[in-house]
Amino acid sequence: MNRVHNAKLILWIITGLAAAVALNRYIFGLGVTTNLNDSTPWGFWIGFDVMGGVALAAGGFVITSIFYIMKREEFHSLVKPAVLTAFLGYLAVIFGLLVDLGLPWNIWHMIIYWNPHSPLFEVGWCVMLYTAVLILEFSPVPLEKFSRYAKIRSFLMKFRFVFVLLGIMLSTLHQSSLGTLFLIMPFKLYPLWYSNILPVQFFISAVSIGLMMVAFESLVSHWLYRRKPETDLVAKLCRAVVWVLALYFLVKMIDIIAEGKFGLIFNGTWQSNLFIFEVLISTIIPSAIFSAPKLCKNVKAQWIGSFMVIAGMVLNRLDVGGLVMLGATGDSYTPAWTEIIISLGIVSIAALVFLFVIENFHIWDIQPEDPEANPHALPTFDYSSRAWLGNPNVSSITKHSLAFIISFAAGMALMPGNHLYSKGIDSIKVSRATGVDTLYINGNRDDQYVKFPHQAHIEKLGKDSCNYCHHLNLPDEKLSMCWECHSSMYAKVNFFRHDWHASAKGANLRCNDCHKPGEARSVKSAKSCTSCHPTYNFADTTNTHLKHYILSYTDAMHNLCVSCHLIELKKQLVKDKPNLAQCSTCHKAGLHQIITEDINWKIKLPHFNNVILPNAKQVEMEMK
Amino acid sequence: MSSILEFARGPLFRLCFALMILGLARILFLDVWGAYKALRKAGDKKMPWKLILSRTWEWIFPLKRMKNNFHFYSLLSILFHVGLIIVPVFLFAHIQLWKISVGIFWPSLPFNWALILTVSTIVFAFLMLLGRIIIKPIKELSKGQDYLWLLLLLVPFTTGFICVNFSISPGTYQLLMLFHVLSADVIFLLIPFSKIAHCVLVPLSQIISGLAWKFPPRTDDDICTTLNKKGAPV
Repeated sequence: MNRVHNAKLILWIITGLAAAVALNRYIFGLGVTTNLNDSTPWGFWIGFDVMGGVALAAGGFVITSIFYIMKREEFHSLVKPAVLTAFLGYLAVIFGLLVDLGLPWNIWHMIIYWNPHSPLFEVGWCVMLYTAVLILEFSPVPLEKFSRYAKIRSFLMKFRFVFVLLGIMLSTLHQSSLGTLFLIMPFKLYPLWYSNILPVQFFISAVSIGLMMVAFESLVSHWLYRRKPETDLVAKLCRAVVWVLALYFLVKMIDIIAEGKFGLIFNGTWQSNLFIFEVLISTIIPSAIFSAPKLCKNVKAQWIGSFMVIAGMVLNRLDVGGLVMLGATGDSYTPAWTEIIISLGIVSIAALVFLFVIENFHIWDIQPEDPEANPHALPTFDYSSRAWLGNPNVSSITKHSLAFIISFAAGMALMPGNHLYSKGIDSIKVSRATGVDTLYINGNRDDQYVKFPHQAHIEKLGKDSCNYCHHLNLPDEKLSMCWECHSSMYAKVNFFRHDWHASAKGANLRCNDCHKPGEARSVKSAKSCTSCHPTYNFADTTNTHLKHYILSYTDAMHNLCVSCHLIELKKQLVKDKPNLAQCSTCHKAGLHQIITEDINWKIKLPHFNNVILPNAKQVEMEMK
Repeated sequence: MSSILEFARGPLFRLCFALMILGLARILFLDVWGAYKALRKAGDKKMPWKLILSRTWEWIFPLKRMKNNFHFYSLLSILFHVGLIIVPVFLFAHIQLWKISVGIFWPSLPFNWALILTVSTIVFAFLMLLGRIIIKPIKELSKGQDYLWLLLLLVPFTTGFICVNFSISPGTYQLLMLFHVLSADVIFLLIPFSKIAHCVLVPLSQIISGLAWKFPPRTDDDICTTLNKKGAPV
């Protein structure tokens, strides 16, 4: 059995499936390829690819600090693979993010549009800088092969210590900042995971996962290439990780006890069981295994222990990254197979590149040969090309590429076909608000009420202020209501009744009354509505082809209410209500479980970006 | 019936179509890669690119070549290829399917042209089949695959033609449509793994022949070993 060859075959198959899913994700959007929705926007991808990925790549800074700062020379053989793993890990994080982001082409925005108050901004910058540092740190290895780049290589080698220091610094910053991200959600995160020292916990766990990742990677690659495992080195890492895990456990437990949450651990909910399971496999069992000196040097125990730490810590990232928020949001979320396969695919690509680099560059002291490339190997018959392939290298390329295309095609076939034909936003009919002096607005009848004190607004704004909201009336009406024209919940509405304008019983207009004679009769050649109805106060529809379309109910409400609230706030007329322009002022009710069942959120998710926030220009104009 | 049809035009179509596109890309890549490696090993690296280009061109539009070969059969083959390639790609109904599912579209053939090309393709395919059976030298060169491909290609053209132009009962329509879609799926699936792969490999055939002259000495033995014909005279 050729381990490398078979491992590559499996990796290529997963990559093929993932490539098919990724193609569908970019053509049809996140709604088709994920089970995410508005109340659970962070799922498996953020938890595994980003949170877990960054943690898994922590081996780079951990080993470099052991080798370069603590001067432990014996770890020399682990440095290059660890830096390579870190480099590939960060590239994987970036690729994972590109799949997960709704608008991936805006990923560069953080470089120019700075928001120094955001932890995510810091994480983004650190990941970007650290990836650059890792490129500089690792590039001497491939450059070694090309003599013409010797000068560049020696230049990079001179500054290697600087890169190492920068790498450690940047890692320390963002490994902890990933925890900082969640400090904003004390009410969303289940108390057992929420902590004021979440950044510290994240950093300590990153060190432990980094140590174990290096050990696991060494075990796997030596097993694949049938080399003698580096048992002693790995044992040293295992002994070190016991201390780190103990510190992690102590910090976590002291925090939980000090905050008075200890009782939650054993209250029997699924969260408490998950917590116990997570702590058991990530911390308690591995430290118990590695505390025994005999087991520490046992290869099987090393495999089991290191894998448990990695799996447990990744589970921790998955929990914090979204899983334990489900209790607060009342949502249910299981990752779709497409989500899982994308994550596995990214890992597979990274692993394939890792194997390629190991085979082709000077990573280990003795470069392993691809057993397939053995020149004395007997030719094998290749069924796909129906020939005896003398060169085993050719045969492996042939087989791997065949595996890739077959699994890609299978992935295309497995995609949920009926979801692929999304027709845009559903036109959900708006229902009128109930109540008289106080209106209860519930346009799509999803039981998410907004309480609008109508009478109180009239009293505050004065009786002449009616047209502020009732800016346009239907023919023969004095005060038309919002929902009568803005009749669709989320989709734009075509409010212009062409047939009525042209019919004899309606406005009785001829074509040329509105359209310019001699031109094609289209929206472009038509007069604007205000040329006949000068008193109409149309909302801002400058876009020509959208001339006859008005905002959806949601957008109209947001535009009107939030803009006005912002203006009142800036004028400082309502000093007693500093939160007037915030979401929670109107949207009092919490997220409701009915949401997901009532409307088809999952399919339509990408289009929810259409919700327009208050018009900043309008606010400024009003202020002047 | 309709569920089978849905399966054939949904998941099965995606499977076969993806296999065709990637399979063709794969063999093209493997051949170019192999040619590149052979050229790197060759002692004399000068290739007669001009000659290769002109020959490739001659074989893609073999008007010059017709002098020495079977004129009628060659002409038939060229005309057969015109309809075979243009109709499936530029048929209005096919483009509509792409437009609805993926959202991409391109100019379509006028209905009458599509009709003429379809009929001509069916007729030429029949004539070619006859030619392969009757004309002796061609018959000697033909393998089973050559007859089967002509028959297989006839299926989607005839069923599509009947479905569009005749008034038939819905049941018959669905049955014919099923044959239409299934045969197309089979064709897509087989293209990269059969002689139809020549649709992407044609430009390479002359390069490979040109390369063969550049092989280092004693390569013939290696080739024979590779083809499992060790000791055969070259």
